[in-house]
Amino acid sequence: MVEDRAVGAPERLHPMFLATGLGGSLRGLVGGWAAIGYLGFSGRLGTALLAAVALVVVVAISVFLYWRRFEYRVGDSEIRIDSGIVSRTHRSIPFDRIQDVDITQGPVARLFGLARVKFETGSSSAKRPDEGVLQAIALERAEELRQLVRGHRRAGAAAAPIAATDDAPPLFAMDWRRVLLAGLFNFSLALFAGLFGATQSFGDLLGFDPLSRRFWLQMVNAGDPIAQYLLAHRIAVAAAGLGLLVLAGLATGVVRTMLREYGFRVDRAEAGLRRRRGLITRTDVTLPVARIQAAIIASGPLRDMFGWRELKLQSLAHDEGGKGDHVLAPLARDAEIAGLLGELGWALPAESAEWRSVSSAFVWTLVLGLSPLVLLAAVQMLFAPAIGAAALVAIGAVIAARWLAWRRTAFALDGELLLVRGGWWRRRLLILPRRRIQSIDLAENFIGRRFEVASLAFGIAGGSGFSAHAIPALPRETARQLRDRLLGSRA
Amino acid sequence: MSDDATPDVPLGDALQPVEPAYRHVLRVRLLLLWVPLIMAGLIADRLLLADTPVFGLPSTALPLLALIALTLAPKRIYDRLRYALTADQLRLVRGWLFHTDTIVPLVRVQHLDVTRSPLDKMFGTASLIVHTAGTHNSVVTVPGLTPERAAAMRDIIRDRVRTDFV
Repeated sequence: MVEDRAVGAPERLHPMFLATGLGGSLRGLVGGWAAIGYLGFSGRLGTALLAAVALVVVVAISVFLYWRRFEYRVGDSEIRIDSGIVSRTHRSIPFDRIQDVDITQGPVARLFGLARVKFETGSSSAKRPDEGVLQAIALERAEELRQLVRGHRRAGAAAAPIAATDDAPPLFAMDWRRVLLAGLFNFSLALFAGLFGATQSFGDLLGFDPLSRRFWLQMVNAGDPIAQYLLAHRIAVAAAGLGLLVLAGLATGVVRTMLREYGFRVDRAEAGLRRRRGLITRTDVTLPVARIQAAIIASGPLRDMFGWRELKLQSLAHDEGGKGDHVLAPLARDAEIAGLLGELGWALPAESAEWRSVSSAFVWTLVLGLSPLVLLAAVQMLFAPAIGAAALVAIGAVIAARWLAWRRTAFALDGELLLVRGGWWRRRLLILPRRRIQSIDLAENFIGRRFEVASLAFGIAGGSGFSAHAIPALPRETARQLRDRLLGSRA
Repeated sequence: MSDDATPDVPLGDALQPVEPAYRHVLRVRLLLLWVPLIMAGLIADRLLLADTPVFGLPSTALPLLALIALTLAPKRIYDRLRYALTADQLRLVRGWLFHTDTIVPLVRVQHLDVTRSPLDKMFGTASLIVHTAGTHNSVVTVPGLTPERAAAMRDIIRDRVRTDFV
């Protein structure tokens, strides 16, 4: 960076990118491999081999060209990235616009001390995920870049610089036992959904479908005594099947959580919080405090019973994997969450917080809305009692769940913070600073109007697109007053 | 409320109706929605229902429904649509069946558009589109303004925008 200080010397991606990039690109070409596999299975082995070699060569050449034509320069106040094999793109990212420098290390990259660097710029996000990404550079260089960007930001930021060293005790960390426990709570039947999907799409190709009755009948017909044994102990078989399902669900949850959360650790960093996690792919994300919009404390009935909660932060940047909220503590005690919130200058709701519950119309509007279905089910009872009764029970369960949720739904104002809690199965507590509210919708519809209730929906930056934060079923006057209080006398 | 307001734009808490011409925009828009429906109804009637007792029902009921919608809906929508621009917030009230009352604090606005569709040009109206950073409700549209007023409102809001994303 001597010859031209404003722009900086050109740098390339690490040469090892040629190997890691090749692997990544080859893995990405699912369609190509499927075609080759098809050729191989249909007996044209020679063609398949040739196609495979051609594919590898073409990908290798394109990876090499990508590497050859990819340059980045680190200037005084910006990073420039020149890329593109045929059509060149010259991108310039001012340090001022970079909110976050995310460092991710895959398994191979860790072996060679490489890292993938992503400059989070707020506007990038979902549409063009590869904007501002350095696929593979040396880890030390990545750390340097991060320090550089932070140092630049610090000039404007008010937060006192605090040395982020590994010697300092972490703000929050999870040992493997805690991660295991978190995995047990993350019971998931995704495995079966995946299996089901796979047999739906490939079952015909393979010639069998393990999720069909016929498959199992054929299987057990092979050994007649087994079939008879199974038929004689149907209840035991059903129980064993259920047990297996639960075990598989637990195992899926544990494995997924272990992979993602192993070595979870949150440290205090300059002007923000730094989170590292992951077993095979290790990620290193820093969240500037100024960009945090809201905090969400989530739990479930079982987790809540044992006093475990999850802390997520809604920020302008998106978390890795396109998920909206940044998980700051997957499984934590209240005291630990209070500690993390303290770093943001917030606190858990005080015991004395004045919680105000919402109108019982929250339940009644649903009852009224479902009444046509109840009528339909009642008529069904006359013709097919079993189906009708099942439908009635299902509707009853939905209403009961709503009633349980209503008992937990409440809001409170705590100084500058708006607190909203709700949900019974998916328990959530939203902590929202008043000044982060972008807009407020006061909505009523033709059902709620009978009960004189309205809901307040808050527009907040960032987060996952579908989860609007709202307070349902407020008496109309209360809703108006609350809205005026939230919007009034802004700093 | 504020002294730097253009005379054209009343600043204050009182809710304003939009331009009456907006009813015509709505009417034409509804017409464009109904015409294909009516045509589909006519075709289905001729081709599929020729020998059934309901023959002729779609060809009469659909145009009738369209006529009712075209005469009643634009006025009702127009009557329920109100806006107010105060010194620090924009308020938009609309709808009855699904009634929504939106408030956008002006300091939160990200960027602003004034748009005119071909229909808007035909009837001399324009829309002011306010973008906020929120994920929910990130676009708030005030339709049926005169182009001058939309531009004046844009200028007023622009002067109050402050960003707090450091």
